[in-house]
Amino acid sequence: MLPLSLLNTAVGHPMMVELKNGETFNGHLVNCDPYMNINLREVIRTSADGEKFWRIPEIYIRGMSIKYLRVPDEILDMVKEEQSRPRTGGDGDRRGGFAGRGGHRDSGRGDRGGFRGGRGGGDRGGRGGGRGGGGGDRGGRGDRGGRGR
Amino acid sequence: MSCSSRASSRPQHVQVITSDGRVLLGTLKGLDQTTNLVLAGAKEREFSPLGSKDIALGLYIVRGDTIAVVGEIDPQLDAQIEWETTGAEPLVSIARQFQ
Repeated sequence: MLPLSLLNTAVGHPMMVELKNGETFNGHLVNCDPYMNINLREVIRTSADGEKFWRIPEIYIRGMSIKYLRVPDEILDMVKEEQSRPRTGGDGDRRGGFAGRGGHRDSGRGDRGGFRGGRGGGDRGGRGGGRGGGGGDRGGRGDRGGRGR
Repeated sequence: MSCSSRASSRPQHVQVITSDGRVLLGTLKGLDQTTNLVLAGAKEREFSPLGSKDIALGLYIVRGDTIAVVGEIDPQLDAQIEWETTGAEPLVSIARQFQ
């Protein structure tokens, strides 16, 4: 599990952040990015010596200045759930795409296959040139579309 | 097959020394290319000349650029050591203070 996916899962949850200078910030995580820059809301800032306190409504912390983040234990289980969910969804979409293209010969999907074939030829004209004969590519796909219908 | 799957599911107990001189222990749940770590059940081992004690911390994300050392430890071996009566000077911070 990646530390940043744990951080992403912790959005909306309380956490404690200690900066490299020793100051700590307690608040709710609003947002974060791949640099570990974070946005906290309803923050209590504590000085490095632990003697002074400030209440801050909202704060943006640069990831580079962070020493560590302390997040609630239950986030760990939430990451595991989230990691299993989007993966299956993504694969399903991709599989669907391939099935669509493969379906040229299928008479039922002939219309769709023909349309996609045509568009694909246009889009990939440049890349097809490398394979030798972009024009040929386009022609070939057009034919296939025709057969589908 | 069964051996490798058991090895990958075995929890990795690690000891981490940070550039500010702290000693953290925990189960390594993940890391990335910048050595950011996810430590579950983290605790800090505070050393003093009179004895050492562990302070429970919880789930930690430690930023890679503050980490000096990560080492695997044997929890059973660690438990055999009487840390309460093992005195040591705390480590000196090597961190540059940003002010």
